[in-house]
Amino acid sequence: MEGVEMNKSYKLLIIDDNKETLSMLHAFFSKKNYEVVSSLSGLDGLKLFESEKKGFDLVITDLVMPNISGVAVISIIKKKNPDTPVIAITGWGEHPEALASEAKADLILSKPLQLDELEVSILDLLSIKK
Amino acid sequence: MEKDKQTAPTIIGLSPNVVKTKELINHVADTGLNIIICGESGVGKEVVAQNLYHRSPRKGKPFVKINCAALPEGLLESELFGFEQGAFTGAERRKRGKFELAHGGVLLLDEIGDMSLSLQAKLLHVLQSGEFSRLGSEKELKTDTWILAATNHELEEDIKNEKFREDLYYRLNIIKIYLSPLRERPEDIPVLIDYYLKKYSPRFRNNSLNPDYSLIEKLQEYHWPGNVRELQNVLKRILVLGNWEEIVDELTRSTYAKNDSTSDKASSKEPSVVSDILNSADGPLQNLESFSLKDIKRRALNRVEKEAISYVLDRTDWNRSKAAKILKISYKTLLYKISDLKIVPPKKF
Ligand SMILES: Nc1ncnc2c1ncn2[C@@H]1O[C@H](COP(=O)(O)OP(=O)(O)OP(=O)(O)O)[C@@H](O)[C@H]1O
Ligand SMILES: [Mg+2]
Repeated sequence: MEGVEMNKSYKLLIIDDNKETLSMLHAFFSKKNYEVVSSLSGLDGLKLFESEKKGFDLVITDLVMPNISGVAVISIIKKKNPDTPVIAITGWGEHPEALASEAKADLILSKPLQLDELEVSILDLLSIKK
Repeated sequence: MEKDKQTAPTIIGLSPNVVKTKELINHVADTGLNIIICGESGVGKEVVAQNLYHRSPRKGKPFVKINCAALPEGLLESELFGFEQGAFTGAERRKRGKFELAHGGVLLLDEIGDMSLSLQAKLLHVLQSGEFSRLGSEKELKTDTWILAATNHELEEDIKNEKFREDLYYRLNIIKIYLSPLRERPEDIPVLIDYYLKKYSPRFRNNSLNPDYSLIEKLQEYHWPGNVRELQNVLKRILVLGNWEEIVDELTRSTYAKNDSTSDKASSKEPSVVSDILNSADGPLQNLESFSLKDIKRRALNRVEKEAISYVLDRTDWNRSKAAKILKISYKTLLYKISDLKIVPPKKF
């Protein structure tokens, strides 16, 4: 598969405790030819992040989740892998945005998400990273 | 106490809640992120805090605990931040606060839910800036402390009732560890009993003195308002008095007494209808995460239906076709409801 540069798809890790949001994001990015791994909890998301040898190109995480919050996910990922871009998404009426930016999220978006815009931001972040 | 400093107390249990708690501890102990540990009194919040500390790179550094419920506001403030000589009457010499003492280590803010709003604001400022000053001084001191907070309050409720600051909650709640009440994880009771019997008394090391299975089963049905701490006390009493049956019976009897009255201490914080429903026959809710209005509605409806049907059945001496007519449902529906809602005919003596 080496050399088929055009087909090389980006690998995303998406974490959200809301099933609907998660499957919507999963479906959208899979259709767009991203390689998507998704998780319903911060803890499982971190485990996936740690066990993925080749790493992820980008992580999208919800902020308010039980046990391990999105803020924790971002801090832990940024500590282990400062170069991995992370996008935080927050629900309506929740206010941990300040914490997310302190944790060095690259971008904070609020729900409802405009998927096309989200993809533009992802491509932006990925091109900066290169 | 000294021994506690060397090793973390063992967390005993095999319920999903305990297993998950241990997994969380292993995963987050090295992050230094703020953590809230919540659960009823005696469920093991402090044990969790100590395990976090012992598995963290801060092990060996100070572990400082302060109980935010035990002190009046002014005193708590000076305990937390310290004071300069002459900061207030009685401040005869400079005193370092818990933030200073915990520098480089861990500060456990126990019963954080009981902290006053004005002190919450001051604490928030310290957490945001990483700086504090002693009372009576302008000088800002840097603090590097890992903050663990414990509470038996439902802070989400306290926020709604404006007793807890939402911004402080978000800052502490980077990671949350919830310990469920012992009555919701009866599978932990036999292993806890085994562990503590062996710990308290060498006589139990050889397994021959272990209690009857039926007694353990009774203990698993008890509602343990004081959770693991209460279990420890019961076991100590049993060891002193040497009589399992008597003590277990005493507990069980007090359970029935409690069920008769509506003012059960463990649930007095909640509106009684809701707490009744939460503990209703089809199983208590595991925790707030599984709380949903839909579920409450279903449980409430079931309960009302059950009461109404039982009432009519009583009045008709369990004549089910008569009862169905009164209730204006079909005979078949009534039979289905009787079994679905587990309505049992009164025992005839
Ligand atoms: N899972 C467990 N395994 C072993 N011991 C436990 C466990 N949970 C609690 N204990 C013991 O029960 C007692 C009470 O626990 P702890 O002091 O941690 O409770 P707490 O939640 O902090 O209670 P409080 O809200 O009253 O402060 C302690 O002696 C502790 O060692
Ligand atoms: Mg405690």
